[in-house]
Parts: sequence; structure tokens; C-alpha cells
Amino acid sequence: MLILAKISRKSVKNLDRNTIVVGLALAVIFVVIGNFVFSYALETLDVKAEELEVTGENILNAPFPEYTIPGFENEWGGILLGVVATLAIFVVTLGIANLLMKKKSE
Amino acid sequence: MHIPDGFISPTISIVTFIVTLLFWIISFMKAKNSLDERQIPIMGVMTALFFAAQMMNYPIVGGTTGHLLGSASLGIILGPYAGCISMTIILVLQSLLFGDGGITTLGANIVNMGIIGVFIPAFLLLALNKISKGKGLYAWIFISAFVGDVVAAVAAGAELGFSVPTFQYGLSVAVPAMAINHSVIGVIEGVVTMVLVGMLLKLRPDVLSKSPSLKDLPALQESKELKE
Repeated sequence: MLILAKISRKSVKNLDRNTIVVGLALAVIFVVIGNFVFSYALETLDVKAEELEVTGENILNAPFPEYTIPGFENEWGGILLGVVATLAIFVVTLGIANLLMKKKSE
Repeated sequence: MHIPDGFISPTISIVTFIVTLLFWIISFMKAKNSLDERQIPIMGVMTALFFAAQMMNYPIVGGTTGHLLGSASLGIILGPYAGCISMTIILVLQSLLFGDGGITTLGANIVNMGIIGVFIPAFLLLALNKISKGKGLYAWIFISAFVGDVVAAVAAGAELGFSVPTFQYGLSVAVPAMAINHSVIGVIEGVVTMVLVGMLLKLRPDVLSKSPSLKDLPALQESKELKE
């Protein structure tokens, strides 16, 4: 904990950069595992709905249904889409958080 | 736990949208004041990380699968207000881009995973830390994350159970089915949250010292005083 007292603003920036690199690398690993190993999904909700013959058709036609690129429905397409979406979510979140900080300083 | 369109009744859909709207307003107003500059990179990383983590479906019980929510980690590490915003970003994009969760059920999904799953662990941990004066931290983190996950699943079951003409099973079937299966996910959620907080305590105590649930921990208090 004593180390924290010595952390300068510059080193915090370096720590942030490291956190972002490690965190996003881990996210990419999750996307790869999600596509190659843990891709099969059958949730409790789906099982119960099937028993009742309830059809859960979504109203909106999502551009990338089931996390796939239409016409490119394999693991590699899923990984590409997953990585792009992960980065997009990172950027959107930073944008919203920065907007909140801006409002705070006003 | 993402509920698709057509599973819940219009009344439940409207009620959950109203609750969501109220929590969004509160969360944006509170996060504007409570969010610290140092939390921003970790907020971006954690939101991206848990979006990716939700793509992994692992086997649980009775041939079904489940995925990590990440709600507890977001609520405990970023605080409930920023955590609610993070989880909302994930859920909105999942619904609009990937059809994971319906548009009429977006309110219900946000209530379950973005509000209940985030606020309960954050406030429960805050209370447990106050009572125990920071002792048994990891046990409390596990319990808070587990409880948050199971209560979120119970809420999803209740929303389905109250939508009887649409989802005919009713509360007596929908609630236990969701709660039992999600208690397995809750255990994983608890372990992941413990590991994440443990890592950040060692590597980024400066970020954790801004978490409402953890900032009063004696270890983080000491480091804060030293920094000042």
C-alpha cells in the first residue's frame, strides 16, 4: 500500500494503459473461447419456453442475429464480430463516462 | 437470462420500463458526481470484458447452459450507478445488434441484470463491510455477488410468472427454475468477483479506493491518507 503513495500522475497513466491492454486482451480471449469452446447455448428460459411452445421471436431484425455475420456463419466470423463489438463497447463506454465527467466539471 | 420478445405480458413490460427509466435518471445524476477520472479506463475495460464474458456459455444443470453476468463485479468495483450504466450499455447493444434479449423486454432485462444484479451486491457488500469492519472481505464479496445473481434470476422468474397468459407456467415453476439454475452461475459470479477485486486490490488500489462499497476498507483508507 505504501507504493500507492508514490504513484505519480504519469505512472497512473501508464497503469491505465496497462490495464486497458491486459483487459482488452482478456476480452479477446473470452471471445475466442466463446466461439470455439463454449459456443453451445441452451438457457433455462429456452427449455421452459420450448416445453410451453412459446415462441420468443424478437420484433426487431437484429443485423447480427445469434452473434453471427449473415453469410459468414462460422467461428471466425463470430470472433471477428465479437472483437469488433467488444472494442465498440469499450469506446462507447469511454465516451459516455467522459461525457459524465464533462458534465461534472460544468 | 436475456428475455426475448413475447415472453412477458405488456403490463410487466411497461412496469419494468418505468423502473428502468427511474434508475437511469438516478444513475446518470449520481454517477455524474461520484465517478472519478481514475475509474473511466477501468469502466471501459470492464464493460468490454463482461460483454465478451457473456459470449461464453458453460454447461450448468440438466443439460442447460449459462453465462456470467458481470453485474456484481461492475456494481462492486465501479459503484452501483456507474455499474448500472455499464450493464445498460451491454444490454442495449446486445438487444439492438445481436437480438440477444428483446426490445419490448429490454426494461425487464435491465431491471434484472442492470439494476438488481448491480445494486444488491454493491449495497450488500457495503453493509457487510460496515458490520464486520472490513474483516472477511472475500467471503462477503462472494456472498454479495452470489445473492445478487440469484435475486436477479428470481426477479426474471417472477416477471415470467406474473405474465401468465403469455408464459403459462406461473410463479411456482418459473421462479424455482430460474433460481436453481442461476445459483450455479452465482457461485461462478462470486468467485470471479473475488478474483477481480483481489487483483485490483494488489494492482490498482487507487481505482478501488473510489468504489462506494470498498472505499471504507482499512487498507484502502491507509493508502488514501498516504496519498493525500
